[in-house]
Amino acid sequence: MSDTPRPRAANAIEVSGLNKWYDTYHALCDIDLTVAHGERIVVCGPSGSGKSTLIRCINSLETHDGGRIVVDGTLMQDASSVDAIRSEVGMVFQQFNLFPHLSILQNLTLGPMKARGLSRKDAEARAMKYLEKVRIPEQAHKRPAALSGGQQQRVAIARSLCMEPKIMLFDEPTSALDPEMISEVLDVIVDLADSGMTMIVVTHEMGFARRAADRMVFMDRGRIIETGTPEDFFERPQTARCRTFLRQILKH
Amino acid sequence: MKRSTLVALGALVMLPGCGAAGNWGWYVIDPTTPNGWSNITFLLDGFGATILLSVIAAVLSMVIGLLVALPGMSSNRWLRLPSRVYIEFIRAIPLLPMLFWVFYGLPVVLKSIGISVSIDAFWGAIITLAISDSAFTAEIYRSGIQSIAKGQTEAAKTIGLTYTQTMRYVILPQAIRRILPPLANQFIYIVKMSAFASVIGMQELTRRANELVVTEYRPLEIYTLLILEYLVLVLIISFCVRWLERRMDADESR
Repeated sequence: MSDTPRPRAANAIEVSGLNKWYDTYHALCDIDLTVAHGERIVVCGPSGSGKSTLIRCINSLETHDGGRIVVDGTLMQDASSVDAIRSEVGMVFQQFNLFPHLSILQNLTLGPMKARGLSRKDAEARAMKYLEKVRIPEQAHKRPAALSGGQQQRVAIARSLCMEPKIMLFDEPTSALDPEMISEVLDVIVDLADSGMTMIVVTHEMGFARRAADRMVFMDRGRIIETGTPEDFFERPQTARCRTFLRQILKH
Repeated sequence: MKRSTLVALGALVMLPGCGAAGNWGWYVIDPTTPNGWSNITFLLDGFGATILLSVIAAVLSMVIGLLVALPGMSSNRWLRLPSRVYIEFIRAIPLLPMLFWVFYGLPVVLKSIGISVSIDAFWGAIITLAISDSAFTAEIYRSGIQSIAKGQTEAAKTIGLTYTQTMRYVILPQAIRRILPPLANQFIYIVKMSAFASVIGMQELTRRANELVVTEYRPLEIYTLLILEYLVLVLIISFCVRWLERRMDADESR
């Protein structure tokens, strides 16, 4: 990375005309999405609608077949731009994906030490700072398997934060959790939202969406069907598909 | 070792001695007679060569196997192709013809391209065993690495690790415990196949047994002892591997 501060890009993320196919299946159709700095987006929609695929394209875990993705001013085109983008973007997965053979502390220090060249001492100090932020510093020396699902997901969040990203992507972060653990994870994500982090959260937790989102994005069959403020989205959905989805998900 | 194994082993050694008088001539390897004792030490002296041969070949095979396996899992088909061809080709060659080819043929090939080396029986056997086995170790690595969930690689990518770092710090440490048992199998296979080195004159266990048979005319007793030598060697390896696995498990559950 260069030492001279880069002029701040106008938007955190600009996606335009994005298309992706899995063989003949059109997974993403003409997606346009602009995310401002500090904006919190919640993406929802039925399963198979392309929500996860969309955010996985943003940090190039999936390749795309057409369209432009610009993250913090960097156009995704070659391997070095992908590296640059990934260094700005953290990601939290549905299945946590912690490294089971490493302690919690080692999970958190691996990236900073190997990818950023921090000393062990600095990396550990940083790791402890973020473990305190997600409220589990006392678990630092255990293995992931010794922690509950909610704790593991909070560690995964801390692991991403240790890379000090500008943008965080959450791919159904609470879908693999037992119900009683969902709120401890959502609380951490809300804290993060309040601190001004730019984020895109794919989730079905509508209570969280009302609380934390600046903007809702509803997807179905690879397309963005509707976007709007949480208030408009929940009170005055514009499309029939969106109304059906909300009825099904808010039924209980 | 289980007690039943010991009993079976004992029976194998004792039985012939008791019955079937006249057909057995254990005197050739009777440690109480000077001739028997010198025969035994002559046979046991082959252990060093067999072990050295097997260990070097196994280490080389593990290195070559990894170097073949990694590009074999690339998303780029031009990296995948040579790996695939190597595995299919090497796997199809029987060990003995390959040994002859390496020992008698390879120096000629090398000489024709200006490299003048003689390959002795020791290195001829090692090269053959290592290459022949590497096709199998490559497949073992592939299955072990592919058994690690894709999410691990993705998580490593999102925290900025390079491919090499991901392999070294994330994937291989997890794959190794799944790879270890089949890799140990391959090592046992190498130990047994090292017997082929006898045909190009390598002084290992089998060669020595063959030579003693020629002078003593007691193939039954000498080959029985030879089989027991391999059995002991393989059982020791199995025991070590099991100990290693247990240690890794203990390490994991910490």
